[in-house]
Amino acid sequence: MKTNTLPEAAPSGAEVARAARGDAATTGMTARRARRVVAVALVGVLALAACGSDDDEASTGEGDDGTALEAPPEDTEATLRVWLNGPDTPDEMIDLAKAEFAESYPNVTVEVERQEWDGLVNRLDTVLPTEDSPDIFEVGNTQAQSYEAAGAMVDLTDAKGDLGGDDLVDSLVEAGTYDGRFYGVPYYGGARIVVYRKDLLDKAGLEIPTTLDEFVDAGKALKADNADVPNFSGIYFPGRNWHAMLSFIWDAGGDIAVDEDGEWVGELSSDASVTGLTTVQDIMQNANAAPADSDDAEDYLDFCNGEVGMLMGPGWKMGQITGEDGCPGKYDDVLGAFALPGSDGGVAPSFLGGSNLGISARSENPGLALEFLKVLTSETYQTEFAEIGLIPVRKSLLDQVQGDEAAQAQAEAAENTRFVPSSENWADVESGNILQDMGTAIASGADVADEAGRAESAIVDILNG
Amino acid sequence: MTAVVPGEGTAASPALPGRRSRRSRRGSPAGAPPPARRRSGRLLPYLLVVPTLVALGAGLGYPLVRLVVISTQEFGRRQQFGAPARYVGTDNYDSIFGTSYFWDVLWRSLAFCGVNVVLTLVLGTLLALLLTRLGPGMRTALSVALLLAWATPALTATIVWQWIFDARYGVVNWVLTRLGADYQGHSWLSEPLSFFFVGTLVVVWMGVPFVAFTLYAGMTQISPEVMEAAAIDGAGPWQRFRDVTWPALLPIFVVLAALSTLWDLRVFTQVYVLQQAGGIVRETNTLGVYAYRQGGSGDFGLGAAVAVVMVGITLLLTLVYLRRMFRQEEL
Amino acid sequence: MRRRWLWNAVALGVMVVMAFPVYWMVVTSFRANSDIRSAPRFLPVGTLENYRSVFERDHFWTSFANSLQVTLLTVVFALFTAFLAAIAVSRFRFRGRLGFLVTILLVQMVPAEALMISVVKTLDGWDLRNSIAGLTIVYVAFVLPFTVWTLRGFVGAVPRELEEAAMVDGSSRLRAFFTVTLPLVAPGLVATGIFAFIQAWNEFTFALVVMDRPEKETLPVWLQAFNFGARGTDWGGVMAGSTLITVPVIVFFLLVHRRVAAGLTAGAVKG
Repeated sequence: MKTNTLPEAAPSGAEVARAARGDAATTGMTARRARRVVAVALVGVLALAACGSDDDEASTGEGDDGTALEAPPEDTEATLRVWLNGPDTPDEMIDLAKAEFAESYPNVTVEVERQEWDGLVNRLDTVLPTEDSPDIFEVGNTQAQSYEAAGAMVDLTDAKGDLGGDDLVDSLVEAGTYDGRFYGVPYYGGARIVVYRKDLLDKAGLEIPTTLDEFVDAGKALKADNADVPNFSGIYFPGRNWHAMLSFIWDAGGDIAVDEDGEWVGELSSDASVTGLTTVQDIMQNANAAPADSDDAEDYLDFCNGEVGMLMGPGWKMGQITGEDGCPGKYDDVLGAFALPGSDGGVAPSFLGGSNLGISARSENPGLALEFLKVLTSETYQTEFAEIGLIPVRKSLLDQVQGDEAAQAQAEAAENTRFVPSSENWADVESGNILQDMGTAIASGADVADEAGRAESAIVDILNG
Repeated sequence: MTAVVPGEGTAASPALPGRRSRRSRRGSPAGAPPPARRRSGRLLPYLLVVPTLVALGAGLGYPLVRLVVISTQEFGRRQQFGAPARYVGTDNYDSIFGTSYFWDVLWRSLAFCGVNVVLTLVLGTLLALLLTRLGPGMRTALSVALLLAWATPALTATIVWQWIFDARYGVVNWVLTRLGADYQGHSWLSEPLSFFFVGTLVVVWMGVPFVAFTLYAGMTQISPEVMEAAAIDGAGPWQRFRDVTWPALLPIFVVLAALSTLWDLRVFTQVYVLQQAGGIVRETNTLGVYAYRQGGSGDFGLGAAVAVVMVGITLLLTLVYLRRMFRQEEL
Repeated sequence: MRRRWLWNAVALGVMVVMAFPVYWMVVTSFRANSDIRSAPRFLPVGTLENYRSVFERDHFWTSFANSLQVTLLTVVFALFTAFLAAIAVSRFRFRGRLGFLVTILLVQMVPAEALMISVVKTLDGWDLRNSIAGLTIVYVAFVLPFTVWTLRGFVGAVPRELEEAAMVDGSSRLRAFFTVTLPLVAPGLVATGIFAFIQAWNEFTFALVVMDRPEKETLPVWLQAFNFGARGTDWGGVMAGSTLITVPVIVFFLLVHRRVAAGLTAGAVKG
């Protein structure tokens, strides 16, 4: 029942990407060309990462259950209820999508209702099965399979071609696919990058680190160099930032769990994983002043307080710091970003975040909903995501990822992205706070192997149902 | 909904009138005829109870029945979305009692509940005594302060307390550091013991006003003459409390203890919000939060079973109170 | 008398401790978000920006209206039904009476969070999701056990001779309950009313899943919008919003507080 895992495919893609990057370096590049090359590499990588799901597509050909959804006539009168989460989709983009949709369906009202990520699972579990269900809803890419497996979403296998088909970023398609059928339409992606203060690095006489060890050392050096600033973190690493922890685990050759013939086997307490987590503990204790039991949601405020040298966060983090919620103008000139370097000098593996859209199985207008989804995955709409620090889900648009350093760093980081165990039960691991608990304990100085072992057995229990 | 703001005991006085009724019953030996002798309308009491039963049935009837049914089923997200549910007998219960983790949670909840109930009652009593010692102006001022704590939503209150104890910017760490202790960046929530210290502060802070007001009202009932007589007999303040006040307040006390136990055992909001803010979930789960997290992680069957077990435990804990009630009601 | 100052000092200390969190909430609500993450400030001065963002955020007033409607309806229905039931259990001895009392106590022991999915299913079956009526039904059911329990005591405290006297004057039994007993248990109604008010006004879990349309949300759920998950929390907004949400409760409380106090003492004398 378990779907194949993305991580197995990723390393090979990373190699290609690294090679591509090497090429660029030797050609002596202009900024634009570099971007271009990075983007091309990105396409290559994400395409390669997909090889695991080719079989799925082959098996889906003709829809063997249910009829294909048909586009309703243009004069249809209806209301579409769309749930989008958090502030990731700006109002302007929503307006754009509505305007676009109104050209085809002038008599349809689209009501976009913003949901908060906190408490989302409760709402989805209780509201989606009711008569008054939203027509379209968004879930995190790590939660998607749980709702696909439950039968909460309409099967869109037959419509996949119209939604972007092979142009869709494969790892997000993977999250949207359960048991060979396609349910969750990729909406946007996000890779994780390092955001740093150029002035502090200069002051400490440091270069941008090119290996993971250099990164850790730079963090410690920064902290020492700024010892006069209270609460200063060379590397801001709160105990609950498990997304960042994954990079260190993967870089050391470890993993959370692997699928062996349909049975999940824990890898978190393997020697490799423990090595990675030991590095994490080293950073948390020696380069960091963030609380052991908080997450990275408000790191930008500490950054704005001048208490952070480097932090690991999503691609939009830089925009948050320079934006209205952060401290516009304060650090704009000294802000930089790079992809976390791996211990071998390449790009360290990082977690690919993102979200998927589904049509509720209880929707009264699935055909119409599908038409709206087509707008949301269209090139015009997806191009907008590229501009706000998120990764568009169309490979053909990845070379649009341009502009600031953060976008470039993100494109680089995206070369080597990996994913959590691809299981319908993964969402339960997240809601059980297991990795967060482990991080908090590790940050507080607990024995790494003990904590990893405990987390591993809890995770394996959940994954294997 | 009571569970959502548990420990937030609110009604002015469930206990006080209960006590009065008992006393008036006792106090009218030959007076009022027992209710059973009334013959005007056998049906009337039933008619009077019907609206309550209908309201309870409408809002909770089906959910309560379904809770018990689901607790015997394999009921996950698939079932929630329409897949047929399979009966698994006592499997869910077995897996609750079979895991050592449940027992951890249970003992933790009992300890947390016990400490909170005792503290709430003791502090409530002291505050009630304090209220009787104050002049009218001061008494009103103190009452208003108590009202503030009482009326604040549990969610808000917990967020504010969490903010007060915030590792980086909390006022507590700020003050302690000023006083010379090294509390710069100290995380109060990451250690289970200090996590529950904060939790107890919130729960007790919200629970004390209810107890204090109720007991204060009870104390004002004790006739001053009795107190004066005791004083003239040479009884000191402690003796007067022990011999006069305490016995008179005992019935109220029992009800308050029962209600506090009920509320504090399934405390949810306070613990959950603090967990979101920090702390290690595994080491700070209490029964209410545990049941909720089982459901939240898609295992509704197990969540339901935990809830049923909780009802059982609450029944056991309030047995003393229930027996008291039975004895009185079956006169 | 010479010890009065000591008690006053103690009372002052207690007052500070009890009121401090509420005071702190108000103080924080006047701080700009960039300023909140710095050393504490102790006076409620600063910016009104947070309050502006509360009032400017969509649906504040609709949520306010929803909350008010649900809360008042809950209070009225719960008190009326509970009064009748309280009369029944304290004035009559009937078959099933003890069962009724035990049921009411048992219902209070069930952790409400566990009932979420079934409650939503029930309401959906009646087409009452996203409706004031639907949420009111849920709240009344949750508040009732406590209100019945409490009012039963208050009714018991009213001497039945008074009802009998009214009946001699020609009133029917039922009429006597309403004309004689009801006014006498007014303090009890106020006390339980406050309980119901606070419960309904502050409730979050069920409101979240019963009212999922933005224009149907209640205030506690609406307040959630200041929490942006991975993008942080608007603490200033949360504090300002919480302050505004708490104000009506405190106003309601202070309005009826005198009656409660008076009622308690009056009842006490009667006993």
